[in-house]
Amino acid sequence: MQPPTPPRPGYALFDGRPVMAFRQESSRRTFIKGAALVGVGGAFVAWRAGDPRAFAQGSATDLEILNYALTLEYLEAEFYTQGLAGNVLTGRDLELVTPIRDHEQAHVTALTETVTSLGGTPAEMPKFMFPDGTFTDRDMFLTAASMFEELGVTAYHGQVPLIQSAEILGAAASIAGVESRHAAVVADLLGGDPFPAPFEANKPMDEVLAAAGQFIQS
Amino acid sequence: MKRRDLIRGAATVIPASIALQMLGTKFAFAQDGDFDGPLDVLNYALTLEYLEAEFYRQGNAADLLDGKAAEYLQKIQTDEETHVTVLMDTITQLGGSPVPAPGVDFGQAFASSDSYLEAGYTFENLGVSAYLGAAPSLFAEKELLSAAASIFGVEARHAAILGVLLEKPAEGGVYMGATETPMSREEVLQAAAPFIVSTVTR
Repeated sequence: MQPPTPPRPGYALFDGRPVMAFRQESSRRTFIKGAALVGVGGAFVAWRAGDPRAFAQGSATDLEILNYALTLEYLEAEFYTQGLAGNVLTGRDLELVTPIRDHEQAHVTALTETVTSLGGTPAEMPKFMFPDGTFTDRDMFLTAASMFEELGVTAYHGQVPLIQSAEILGAAASIAGVESRHAAVVADLLGGDPFPAPFEANKPMDEVLAAAGQFIQS
Repeated sequence: MKRRDLIRGAATVIPASIALQMLGTKFAFAQDGDFDGPLDVLNYALTLEYLEAEFYRQGNAADLLDGKAAEYLQKIQTDEETHVTVLMDTITQLGGSPVPAPGVDFGQAFASSDSYLEAGYTFENLGVSAYLGAAPSLFAEKELLSAAASIFGVEARHAAILGVLLEKPAEGGVYMGATETPMSREEVLQAAAPFIVSTVTR
């Protein structure tokens, strides 16, 4: 079954407005930085974006996928922790965003423990740097949040066919559904579209890491 | 392929039961015998999507909502109708026969805007748990698995926004915790049974 993949604004645009001042093009350098963080090595560079067969032949193990997810969850957890500390949200905004931070922190904990329980070494938390002004303005904060949530959704869905254990798949899916809820709620708070398509989009690891790499200080 | 392989996954290379405990999810995943192959899973999903699509068709026709709520519910209806179409096409392409749409009766669901949204909220959360519960039964069929997952995520969006429209509490209302909870086929069909007046055969 090939769900239609309608054009999506991607992580850089929301409702036709630029999200913030970061590079839109994946750069090899930021990708390699991200890949090194999750320990997947340079083999992924050879993957062609959007080619599921090239993807499936990649050498990522479930542990590598879990560490990749962990790195993205670190990013989200830190983003919301810093964002909520900025005290720019009030009322229903605050009520709806606070649990998102708690969920992302719970995902970090769960993924860390899972990697450990499987005999792996959890990826370390990178140092993150968010653009000036991200946390001093409600719309900037929520716009960035929307970008991260949509990126997280596409990241999880990109790994669905690659996970080798049915149980890990179930666990990852149970997190992915929550990220979809977050994405919809944040879009609604911004007056955007919580239902951009009848099917969730997906992105391969290299594209996601390149996008996330913008916020990682090496 | 033997059904056992389909359900268990061909090669579980890590002791994932440990991982699951760590993830703290309540895995009411598909058990042996829940589904008779991928077509059966797709027809199960199709039945739920029929139910949802017809629910929103009737609900939106009742003209209970306005403004943003009306706009959102119209989009949700379109999403569910798209899911029905795609699932039917997929089943046919795989050489199967799509189950017919069940006869439905939504009782007093359309008595008010709140009862409509509340019933939709229940259906969406049920749909989320149903897809998650069935996911392992599609594990060996990667294209089907990916497609089902991509529908599952959209059902989660619907569920959250219906919670928002109903002004539910954030946790336990809009969100159902840090992880979604799967439901078994039996639980799902039991929950849907009150709305189905003519049953479809398995």
